[in-house]
Amino acid sequence: MAATLLDRYVFTVLRRVPEAQRTDIDRELRASIADAVDARVDGGEPPDAALEATLLELGDPEHLADGYAGRRQYLIGPDLFPIWRAILKMLYTIVLPIVVVVAVAGKLLADPGIGPAIGVGIGTLLTVGVHLAFWTTAVFAIMERTGVGRAELSGGPWTPEKLPRYERQYHNLANLAGALIWPALMAAALVVQQFAITDEPVLDPDNWTFWWPYVLVLLALYGAYAVWTYRRPVWNHTVTAVYAGLSVLLWGPVVWLLADHRFYNPEFLSGLDWGAEDPQRWLTVSGILFALVSAVWGVVDVAIRAERSRRGSPAAIPTIV
Amino acid sequence: MTMDATLSTHLQELRRGTVVVASLVALRTPGYGYSLLETLSTAGFEVEANTLYPLLRRLEAQGLLTSSWNTDEARPRKFYRTTEQGEEIAAALRDEWTRLTVAIADLTAPTTPSE
Repeated sequence: MAATLLDRYVFTVLRRVPEAQRTDIDRELRASIADAVDARVDGGEPPDAALEATLLELGDPEHLADGYAGRRQYLIGPDLFPIWRAILKMLYTIVLPIVVVVAVAGKLLADPGIGPAIGVGIGTLLTVGVHLAFWTTAVFAIMERTGVGRAELSGGPWTPEKLPRYERQYHNLANLAGALIWPALMAAALVVQQFAITDEPVLDPDNWTFWWPYVLVLLALYGAYAVWTYRRPVWNHTVTAVYAGLSVLLWGPVVWLLADHRFYNPEFLSGLDWGAEDPQRWLTVSGILFALVSAVWGVVDVAIRAERSRRGSPAAIPTIV
Repeated sequence: MTMDATLSTHLQELRRGTVVVASLVALRTPGYGYSLLETLSTAGFEVEANTLYPLLRRLEAQGLLTSSWNTDEARPRKFYRTTEQGEEIAAALRDEWTRLTVAIADLTAPTTPSE
């Protein structure tokens, strides 16, 4: 069901005000808007135009929300603050993870070993994180002082068409099937490589004492996760947290085994002849890269979808009683 | 900044505080958001809905207004009413207003030449 223009406006205001006030503001704002629309309709305007004009008069929902929340935003003035916040959020959720992954991968290429790689990861996270915040803020502070307005940046003054749409993303069976197939394939590959594909098993058979069964259990949990999210009416940050936990539990040991040279079967590696290249090094590095990218990509993807769904979900916001 | 924009910024700043006084005085008779907006604009106060609605909640949080939901009619509305404390604040603000008016008048009146 598509959210109406009024719902979109109210949700956009509510998602920015403290949770404890939402129910009350929701009811009050809807009543006030309805009063204003009625007044316009009584004056002879058609209802749709009356609503649009009322919302236009109320103005940018983010400003209204700032008014309700009584926020003080002084370094970056209220005009630019929402854009500054949106850009920082984007930098921290997308750019920063990519930079960290690239830095860790580069370190691993030069020097396989999990300890130094973690060090580089944390170092990059802190340095790049601080730089992103500092320079973004500095640029905005300069823009603020030199009088660049929000209207120029966001392409004209606010209008109701700019409201987010909040269509809910329903999970269909195809999505569920896709989410079930990849852990199933991985589990199958893990078992089959022990007996077939190559003369010697690809992965270290010693790990059957603990780590390979552990990975199989984790893959089964991924399947359970897929069913759980399929049956869940609403996605939110709980989903992100669960997925991130699963990712750490699965990919963490994989990366550690790779870095510790306990992932591939030594017999299998010695059977490879790549000329001048060292197969162990290349397989280790590409394996670690694959693990890190899979983990980060997966978590970012789920986080984005959960955030979108949370914002758009009427169920997460108290509606009129 | 053009002359008009400068003027409108200053007018806005000048009017900002008056809305508080006007609301506290007007809400001695209970009213809801939109009705107050109408009352104020009829009385000649230029205030926008997106300023007034958050302001009402802020005054309520400060204890100058109380509110209750009226659900008797088809559309439930939140009615605000000035509290005793709100009355006191409004009186103090009006005294200040009077003092400022006198002060401005004195300032603009032709001064007696002093030797």
